Amino acid sequence: MKQRTLLFSVFIGLVVMLIISSCRKHQQEAFVEDQDWLAGGGQTTFIQGNGAFGQPFQGMTPAQNWLHEIGDKGFEAIFVSAPAPKNSGLGPIFNAVSCAACHISDGRGKAPAAGEPLQSLLIRVSKAGEDATGGPMEMPLFGGQFQQKAVAGNVPEGDVSIIYAYQTGLFFDGDSFELRTPTISLINLYQNASDPFLMSPRIAPPVFGLGLLEAIPEWMLLANADPTDANNDGISGRANYVWDLLLHKTVLGRFGWKANTPNLMQQIAAAFNQDMGITNTLFPTESSWGQTQYDQLNDDVELADSILHAVAFYMRSLAVPARRNVKDPEVIRGQQLFNAIDCAKCHTPKQKTKVDVVFPAISNQKIFPYTDLLLHDMGAGLADNRADFLASGSEWRTPPLWGIGLTEVVNGHTNFLHDGRARSLLEAILWHGGEGETSKNKFKQLSKSDRQAVIKFLKSL
Amino acid sequence: MNKYVLTLLVVSSLVACKKSTTSTASKVEPSTIVAAIATNVNQAIYADLAVEADSLHATVQLFVANPSVELLEKCRFYWKKARAAWEQSEGFLYGPVATDNIDPRIDSWPVDYQAIDVELAGNLDFTVDANIDALDDALKGFHPIEYLLWGVNGAVNVADFTPRQFEFLLALTKNLKILTGQLATQWETANNTAYIHSFTSPTTNNPFYPTYRSVFEEMVNALIGICDELAAGKIGEPLLLQDPSLEESRYSSNSMTDFKNNIISVQNVYLGKYAINGCGLEDFVRQYNLSLDNEIKTAIALCLARMNAITVPFGLALSTQTQQVSQIVAAVEDLEDILQLKLLPLIQTKITN
Repeated sequence: MKQRTLLFSVFIGLVVMLIISSCRKHQQEAFVEDQDWLAGGGQTTFIQGNGAFGQPFQGMTPAQNWLHEIGDKGFEAIFVSAPAPKNSGLGPIFNAVSCAACHISDGRGKAPAAGEPLQSLLIRVSKAGEDATGGPMEMPLFGGQFQQKAVAGNVPEGDVSIIYAYQTGLFFDGDSFELRTPTISLINLYQNASDPFLMSPRIAPPVFGLGLLEAIPEWMLLANADPTDANNDGISGRANYVWDLLLHKTVLGRFGWKANTPNLMQQIAAAFNQDMGITNTLFPTESSWGQTQYDQLNDDVELADSILHAVAFYMRSLAVPARRNVKDPEVIRGQQLFNAIDCAKCHTPKQKTKVDVVFPAISNQKIFPYTDLLLHDMGAGLADNRADFLASGSEWRTPPLWGIGLTEVVNGHTNFLHDGRARSLLEAILWHGGEGETSKNKFKQLSKSDRQAVIKFLKSL
Repeated sequence: MNKYVLTLLVVSSLVACKKSTTSTASKVEPSTIVAAIATNVNQAIYADLAVEADSLHATVQLFVANPSVELLEKCRFYWKKARAAWEQSEGFLYGPVATDNIDPRIDSWPVDYQAIDVELAGNLDFTVDANIDALDDALKGFHPIEYLLWGVNGAVNVADFTPRQFEFLLALTKNLKILTGQLATQWETANNTAYIHSFTSPTTNNPFYPTYRSVFEEMVNALIGICDELAAGKIGEPLLLQDPSLEESRYSSNSMTDFKNNIISVQNVYLGKYAINGCGLEDFVRQYNLSLDNEIKTAIALCLARMNAITVPFGLALSTQTQQVSQIVAAVEDLEDILQLKLLPLIQTKITN
């Protein structure tokens, strides 16, 4: 009996040791798991060349892969003027002929140089006031977006002129930098506008990883919000609440430069309608309705629901590029500085996606988008002075930073911010004002090598 | 001087790559392979593309000045020559062709022929380059030129051309010449700021390619990309939907030739062979895995053989030779899988920097 007890205690002891050791192992794994080179969690792609932003999720079913392919085709499809046998319905007024025309290689649009026509930049317009849903008040005869192109035989709403003013500034160590400020004017209008234009330029953002951002639980985003700046750190972080067309109610805004769209489907449907003039189930009315350009054709809706859904699925299922050079000492130092000067307070490194039993590929992933998806006052320098639902004229949504270091290899340029005015990551940092002012000033106080380390860290994202 | 250096480079890469078919090859440095492919394949094809586009424009000038059946045929001939070079460049759709957005400006379809008809009926000054630049992608490039040279049913006669059509044809071919010229310049070694230098000299400060491995991955991912485009898009989509109007070069009935040239593009990069037979990806593969080398070559040959088995224009084959067209898709998918599942991992394990 005694011996059995002894044996039993030895056995229990062994079991306890095993449990302890396995716990240690778990701790170690958790540590490894938290390393942020897997920017998209399980949906991280290791392609780092020209196609880095256009890779599908791994581990999807054949049917999902096929849907992704169809969506890819829809994303690239060039729409033509109606009536036509294929891809009919472009315009009559529009900004672009396809999704991919602005989101080139699923990537970031480039700001036009002075005098150049707009390629991947559009201008939202409105007049003072709010509409019934709380959004911007459309400008009579122009709508909510300025379309500077029209199908052959029709007239566009006008032209957009961009000029840049240049000013220089100094870092604390005496090094100088130069920033350019765009001035945008709407010219050659097809009709006189009844009111002064409120304008907001918006450049085409990269479109990968959006399914993962959509899957971050609302409560997790709201947990980061601090609308009254209760912790007194000078950074508020407000959620936008916007109109959901399908739910017919106001919900959390997530997408767009001002978080003015609730979900990917509505974002994409709006882009088809406003950017290309393609009517669809969510937006069945031509963007030119009530204007002289209206085509009077009885062909709405012009986009098959299957294509709309496939394009939405395509964007949901684009993987995120892995970070590079994560063990480079300079990159690690840059990351520490990024945190030390509080960039990470808004560019929140880590988020987690919800459990999604319907689409396991995006379910329960630790991701590293470097955004809180909340609105922040960015100061007068960046302000468009045009409110968009709850976003004020100087508030912008923190844009994700993941993949930002691959912009040049994918898109051949390094233009950043909502209108592409920054010509480098450095300039983008220096444009931060408002809630970002303190961090920017801390950045300006850094030594040159420290500044370079921060940039190098950003390039590793 | 630069040409001299280039010749030396090419000769040295030739010497470095003795093409033996039976034994495992000796070590060839990744840098040698990248330099050889960049000059012997990418640069050479873009140079040819620019030359053929120039010939097309020159011939169109003659045709417009003096319309004749012979000159129309000659225009069509040069369109096909330029088209062949372009399709053979689609195995490397990275760099300026992508980042400068040149691809959609010269190779968009479907053609918005209604919009073209409206432009032809309108008064836009086609002789102003900026006016052509400002046209939408579906109104310029290879396919609108094709539409003008062949017409919807491939039956355009010389007498059918209107003065506005002549002007538009001239303008479009000039635009194609300019854009393909820009591409060639970006791959020209003598141009100090050209993209080719970033491609062939990866360093940590290189904004495009930090390592040779990243250059190799770029090359192979582009090969995978064009296989995917063929299998899922160019051939697969019209096949699945049984819709000949989705065919790409349908006015000229040139689609099968386009597809073959895409596979030849894959082959060119793999073998490092175009006008010159230099180092290619095969010289990397053969150092480690002769059977994979054989597998890739066999898969390429099968794609081409199955494409050659189609005896009627692609639009027709969709319904009359459906089985054979499906087999092409299967062969291209197999090639894509081999590149994706075997070649890419080999690169990722063997090239460490």
